[in-house]
Amino acid sequence: MKDKNLIQLPFALRLSSYFFLVFWCLVAAFPIFWISVMSVKLPIDAFNSSPLNVIFGPETLNQNKGLSFIDITLGLSIILFTAKLSTGWLVRMVSRYSPDGYQWFGWVIGAMTFGLSFIIIFFGIMPSALSLLNDISGPLGNNILGFSTEHYATVWFEKGFIKNFQNSLMVTTGVVTISLTFGTLAGYGLARSGSNLAFWILIIALVFRALPHSVLVTGYLPFFMNSAEILRPIFGDAAPTLYGMPWATIAVLVAINQPFTIWMLRSFFQSIPSELDEAARVDGCSHFQAFRRVIMPVMWPGVITTGLFSFLLAYNDFLVTSLLLEAQNTTMVPAIAGMFNMETTTTDQVIAVAAAVSIIAPLFFLVMFFQRQIVSGLTAGAVKG
Amino acid sequence: MFLKKLATAVVVTSIASGAWAGCAFENGTELKTLTAGFDSWKAVTSAMAECGNVTSTLDQDFKDVQADAFAANPSLYQIGGVNNSAFSILVNAGTIRPLDDLVAKYGSHLKPSQLIKVNGQTMAIAMQVNNQHLMYREDVFKELRIPEPKTHADMVAAAAKIAKYTSLSVAATPIGGTYAAGWNLGEEFVNNYLGNGGEFFGEGNAPSINNATGVATLNTMKDLAAYMDPEYLVSESTYVQQQFQQGKIAMATLWATRAAAMDNAEESTVVGKVKMASAPMGSTRAAATNWWDGVVLAANMTDEQADAAFRVVMEGIDTEMVLANNDAAVWLVDGYVAGSAAQGALDTATNGAAPYPSSLAGMGAMHSALGNGVGAFLTGEKDAATALADIEAAYIIAATESGLM
Amino acid sequence: MNQKTFFAFIGPSVLMMVLFIALPLATVLKQSFYINQPIYETLEVETCTPTFTGQVCSVDLKTVPVIGENGKVLKKNEFVGLLNYQNVIEYPRVIAAFADKSWRQFMTIDFWKALRFTLSFTLITLPLVLLFGLLIALCINNAAKSIRGPVIFVSLLPMIITPVIGALSIRWLFIGDGILTSFLEWWFAKDIAMFAQAWTIEFMMMMYRVWHVAPFAAIVFYAGLQTVNQDTVESAIIDGANRWEKLRYVLLPHLMPLIVFVTLIHLMDSYRVFEEVVGFSSQAYVISLQWLTYDFLMVDQSGNRSISRASASAMLTMIGIVLLLIPVLKGVWRDYKDKRL
Repeated sequence: MKDKNLIQLPFALRLSSYFFLVFWCLVAAFPIFWISVMSVKLPIDAFNSSPLNVIFGPETLNQNKGLSFIDITLGLSIILFTAKLSTGWLVRMVSRYSPDGYQWFGWVIGAMTFGLSFIIIFFGIMPSALSLLNDISGPLGNNILGFSTEHYATVWFEKGFIKNFQNSLMVTTGVVTISLTFGTLAGYGLARSGSNLAFWILIIALVFRALPHSVLVTGYLPFFMNSAEILRPIFGDAAPTLYGMPWATIAVLVAINQPFTIWMLRSFFQSIPSELDEAARVDGCSHFQAFRRVIMPVMWPGVITTGLFSFLLAYNDFLVTSLLLEAQNTTMVPAIAGMFNMETTTTDQVIAVAAAVSIIAPLFFLVMFFQRQIVSGLTAGAVKG
Repeated sequence: MFLKKLATAVVVTSIASGAWAGCAFENGTELKTLTAGFDSWKAVTSAMAECGNVTSTLDQDFKDVQADAFAANPSLYQIGGVNNSAFSILVNAGTIRPLDDLVAKYGSHLKPSQLIKVNGQTMAIAMQVNNQHLMYREDVFKELRIPEPKTHADMVAAAAKIAKYTSLSVAATPIGGTYAAGWNLGEEFVNNYLGNGGEFFGEGNAPSINNATGVATLNTMKDLAAYMDPEYLVSESTYVQQQFQQGKIAMATLWATRAAAMDNAEESTVVGKVKMASAPMGSTRAAATNWWDGVVLAANMTDEQADAAFRVVMEGIDTEMVLANNDAAVWLVDGYVAGSAAQGALDTATNGAAPYPSSLAGMGAMHSALGNGVGAFLTGEKDAATALADIEAAYIIAATESGLM
Repeated sequence: MNQKTFFAFIGPSVLMMVLFIALPLATVLKQSFYINQPIYETLEVETCTPTFTGQVCSVDLKTVPVIGENGKVLKKNEFVGLLNYQNVIEYPRVIAAFADKSWRQFMTIDFWKALRFTLSFTLITLPLVLLFGLLIALCINNAAKSIRGPVIFVSLLPMIITPVIGALSIRWLFIGDGILTSFLEWWFAKDIAMFAQAWTIEFMMMMYRVWHVAPFAAIVFYAGLQTVNQDTVESAIIDGANRWEKLRYVLLPHLMPLIVFVTLIHLMDSYRVFEEVVGFSSQAYVISLQWLTYDFLMVDQSGNRSISRASASAMLTMIGIVLLLIPVLKGVWRDYKDKRL
């Protein structure tokens, strides 16, 4: 594609454009970068008012917890290598070896093996290899950057963040699968039907999307609290208390997600020519068979994109999960709000920072792997909607 | 390294759920506990976990979920950790069970003061008492020849004097206060108002804080706030504790459970320099409220579960645990030896600090209204009388809505 | 596609939306006209509690809830008409504030304070988001192809981050002696406390929201810039248009549907501002409409949730968003009618 700009920008404008981009990238990444740096230092360093002390962590270094030059260079190169591998080699291997029509299965296996081997190499083999290297290389092996993973250990093992992570995983998987199932069906129906009803449903969905979630939770909170009594006539003594149960939260999040999901999927479906399923129907398929056998295989990119946004909504949710889940079933985001109230020491504050970084780390990788899908999702919704 | 830690953690977790090393009996019933998150609860729940099959949730916001969790049938938790106000909520809802027969069976060693009784029935077992008292930098006060502050006026005078010596790290903000809007701010008002002998309610749960005592209390708080870090409306106990530890404040009224942290060499730069003293005297008594923390058992569970739960609780608050965690709290349990960290709490009690009036039906709504309304006076948005009138109006709305008035 | 198949396809989705959006909405509407409260009685109660010096027993007249036969507190549900709305709006205090002609007094009433903040937040961040989004999109468009990928990657980060975590990270940067506050203090050579007054907190919240939403606008506009009709651009250049005129007369009209789209999404989302209030712990200074409803729903010190007032506040919030959306919906309806005709 030709460059869109037919006039070459004057040097001054081009320079300021680049400066602005650099400024924007700094602003965009700075808070995330900073809390990641804070989370690997001792509390005295993490909350220091001098930025250099936070970055280099003198107190942490004093306690012999740090990274040497060798650690840093080797670690960074392995990370970059893995990143390149994952976006190039891994993609090729998965597309070559996954069975036809089961691309997603190939992806799951591929991602899991890749992730597992990375964890084993990076956290298992590397530290011992590095300590050996550090010992032999004299001054290069001295710690220059304070670095301590003790807060992450505390968060995940002592504070039971593993349980919160499992809860988050359960809730998001539930929300994404159910949301996509219902959403693809509805999106297809709305895209192929030109009736007035379809239009009104879309408009009402738009209004529903605008509703503040607190309005909705106000509606079903009393119902969930008293669900045991309300459902007793039907279920007898086995009537469950819905308050605090993950299934209730999954159902609520799926429903809140639906308007956005059906709008997005509808615009994706509209981009697929209707001749495709009409041909299938001429061949004798019912609507549903045409949908499943002909349209869905073509729709995978759109489904993945919508699934991503569904995942984000469920993963990042705070209001619904904090009000509807009780302590044992809490997901990660409300758990971190609770961590503030559990603070009794400065160390606890850095632990909260480490928890925050743990929460956004998967998102970071999500953007890295699915950048193209996210961009196409945003633009598809806008350009066609 | 990481793998080793991971493996250890997995092993430890699986052992911990099955070990009964320090416990006199082996617990076979699945039990869940919901308590607050501070150090004494960490100690108690670890001791309980040694009996096996006990899953503990420690959440500083436990009060938000406890009432509904215990109201569920079957209860979502079998054992609950409560303080005065959480206890009132559960007792009024009828969701906790009387413990008299269980005490007779397993709890004969409990001290009579540990039994919380309502209309003759034991409803909770108390394990510690707590209050807020004065902590101050003894070294700074000695150097500047300031006597120990006994009243709020003393505190303000001391702060004025310290502020003049700008070379001191504590000079910029000599006073610290747990004035975070919400529960903490309400608690500060309650402490000072009771210290000045005020009454919260009149006939039929009507509010009565808009009077001279109320205005005097507000003015005292404002005088103190003038010497605090300007972000006092977001300062809760951890923040003030850190200010002390980092040498930024010279005096504050803090919870007795925070006293030990001042001498924690890992975080504190003022080890050995902070003295614990009685809470400042209001016009009538010490400006603090006495709290107790203890354990309750849910009503919505089987009697077998209750039996096992009570035995586990007895293990959790036994002498062995107290000996191992002596300074974590001012324990009521046998075997506790009051150290220097507890002196401030004991002195405050001796100076007549009132118990927190949690059994007054409207206290919850009043505390909420205070926590939301005092801030406007401190920031200068309203004058004292208007602030108090608005707090009373907010209380009346909440009380009428919940049927108290 | 016939009606039956159509219903079959949209069935599950519509059912979920009806069950969990429409029904709760109707329930909230109904609940806002009722009060649900326990029945109280006054009894003499003897309580024994521990003190530092031993056990103290006292007998007092107390108001306690009546417990029914099934062990649960007896409650009654009363129709109260508009009382809940009056309690939320606090009509008497509004009149008093107007009588004193005091805006400050008016702003001390929770509901109006929340409304004022929500509206100013929504309306101030909107032009900023559009402006920054456009700027970033133009700059990315003018950048070399090779760096566009990484720049888009970094730009997406603020958008993907959990809103609560994002707000928390800004809080940690600015609170007390946070790194950026220290920097500002050094630059302006005076003491700054960013969390000690309402306007700085509001400013930080708005900056945070712009940081969070600008990438969304930027990506959308960037995609739009890729589809600019080259012929129009060429003829504009031939006609002697300079850079700014090209921007104004060619690019902006082309991007107009996207600008409307971003505006719509941003209005809906920023009206619901809530996570910022939680992340900044700003409830003493700044509250929003959705936070007010959330606060009513949270258990207070006496273990009660103010469901009635929460319902009234929720309905008032809803009315606001519907009012905001009416112009946009009118446009969509007009478009649709034109297409059909």
